[in-house]
Amino acid sequence: MKQKRKTETLSYGVKRGRDLGFYIFSRIVIVITIAAIAFPILYIFSISLRTKATVYEDILILIPKTVTYQNYPGALDYAKTRLNVSFPEMFRNSIICTFGAISVSIIISAFASFSFSNFKFRGKEMLYTLMIASFAIPVQASLIPLFFMEKKLGILNTYLAVILPYIGFTVPIGVLILRSFFEGIPIEIKEAARVDGVSNFQMFLKIILPLSKPAIATCIILLFLETWNEFLFALIFLQNPKIQTLPVAIAKIAGGKYFAALGIYAAAIMITIIPILIVFVIFQRWFISGVTLGAIKG
Amino acid sequence: MDGFQKFKKEIIVPYSWLLPALVFLVTIVFFPVFISFVLSFFKFTGVESNYFQKFVGLGNFKYLLQHRYFWISARNTFYFVGSMAVIQTAIALFLAMIIYFGNFKYSGLVRMTIFAPAVLAPVCVSLIWRKILSQDGALNQILGGIDYPWLAKMNLAIWCVVLVNIWQWVGYSLVIYYAGLQGMNREVLEAADIDGANWTQKMFQMVIPFLAPITMLNVILNVIGSFRAFDIVYVLTKGGPAHYSEVFTTLMYYYAFSSWGPHKMGVAAALAFVMFTAIVVFGIVRIRLLKERRV
Repeated sequence: MKQKRKTETLSYGVKRGRDLGFYIFSRIVIVITIAAIAFPILYIFSISLRTKATVYEDILILIPKTVTYQNYPGALDYAKTRLNVSFPEMFRNSIICTFGAISVSIIISAFASFSFSNFKFRGKEMLYTLMIASFAIPVQASLIPLFFMEKKLGILNTYLAVILPYIGFTVPIGVLILRSFFEGIPIEIKEAARVDGVSNFQMFLKIILPLSKPAIATCIILLFLETWNEFLFALIFLQNPKIQTLPVAIAKIAGGKYFAALGIYAAAIMITIIPILIVFVIFQRWFISGVTLGAIKG
Repeated sequence: MDGFQKFKKEIIVPYSWLLPALVFLVTIVFFPVFISFVLSFFKFTGVESNYFQKFVGLGNFKYLLQHRYFWISARNTFYFVGSMAVIQTAIALFLAMIIYFGNFKYSGLVRMTIFAPAVLAPVCVSLIWRKILSQDGALNQILGGIDYPWLAKMNLAIWCVVLVNIWQWVGYSLVIYYAGLQGMNREVLEAADIDGANWTQKMFQMVIPFLAPITMLNVILNVIGSFRAFDIVYVLTKGGPAHYSEVFTTLMYYYAFSSWGPHKMGVAAALAFVMFTAIVVFGIVRIRLLKERRV
């Protein structure tokens, strides 16, 4: 009975009794894939729960015989003393840089998208194409001049040193998402507002933005992924350990100079990735639909 | 007055809304790219007072072309970008079809799990895999307790980077493919069933052609993404052993900023310009391809 309902409600595809070969094959492939995806993370997690003595004991079984949590305070301490920046400071730095950049970037790409979707003007499509094309430009192409510009302005080794480039390089993504969404807002709504005699700015603030919450959420997620994990600008522009973001500070444990015992190494990685994994699990629908939407618009 | 009103409506108002975005794009992206281009003709070591030290013409480009590391990195960038464009796209397509046609009960959970590495910082992913690929790491233990130094082999290191990058990003391509599959008309496939088409016919004559635009999109995204990837190589292999896994991005860092590098900013700018040109050429080829298909 249950099986019958299943074949009826399910979409086109394998049906249990009929396509047994494919049914089994698909299950095997997916089990192997998920194991391959999950294993590295579980492996590091397992190491982080082991003492020095048991770190290699039956490591492939993943579940340690005796669990220790000592590596976590150990990693906090290691960061403070060896990397010269504590984990709370790293998180604070990452949050300031990410959200500083995202908020400004979304506001100015909303302005630009409003212009693209609301006015007819000379050079519009050319400017838009140029903006979208700049998405493909590798950041390395502007890295060296930016470094010296920032040095001249004296903002090297401040949060602004990375926030400004993050804004510049994420605006195209914001415009890409927001313009098409703004254009999808029914013209009747805009015209009704025009008849009531609202100014452009009021229309933007009171009509367009409130209707665009889903698109703005998509933007927040895409820009968050771009900036939270960003490494190259942060590596070069933030040399002072105290203001380094998570990726830059944590990358140092790979170097011999900052040698960390294996348990500490693993715990430090886990402290870095657990918050983002939790955020991902909570908002996973948004993440996946955001990425899909962003890609398909592009 | 009329002319001014028109000018205001068609130029001033729209452009003032665009202004903040344009200011950022010009100062952060376009102007520095242009300066990179100018710098590539100068000898430039980054000494404060004297930025444009000496005009050297094509000297920096000549230096690049004669430098062994440049050719190694060109080869590696080609392997890396090519593998991401071909292998990752193929795996993602395969998995998307398996999940879609397999009618999994928890298909959402499966996709979420495979996508998960894409939200991690590439730095963390590389740190994790550094351990797995190390001599006493998990891979060697799975292979029966050998101690093969995967990351220290000259011709293997870049393929380790490819492997790790696919592990991280395959879910990204997968969810894009899956969204494409969801837009497919199932009745056509069911009709083909009735006509007695077998699954290879359905796959190669219906599903894969249907997904062609999505495949194009995934290839483009993977090319752009992997071409600029820096962190994964920097953390996983540091370009080593002996610069054998260097790609353009890490080599540029080595030329310009690395503390044991030669501090040749001009050469690095020339390399940046080579990268910029490569991506522009790629963009033009892509537009040409799109046009040809439409005609």
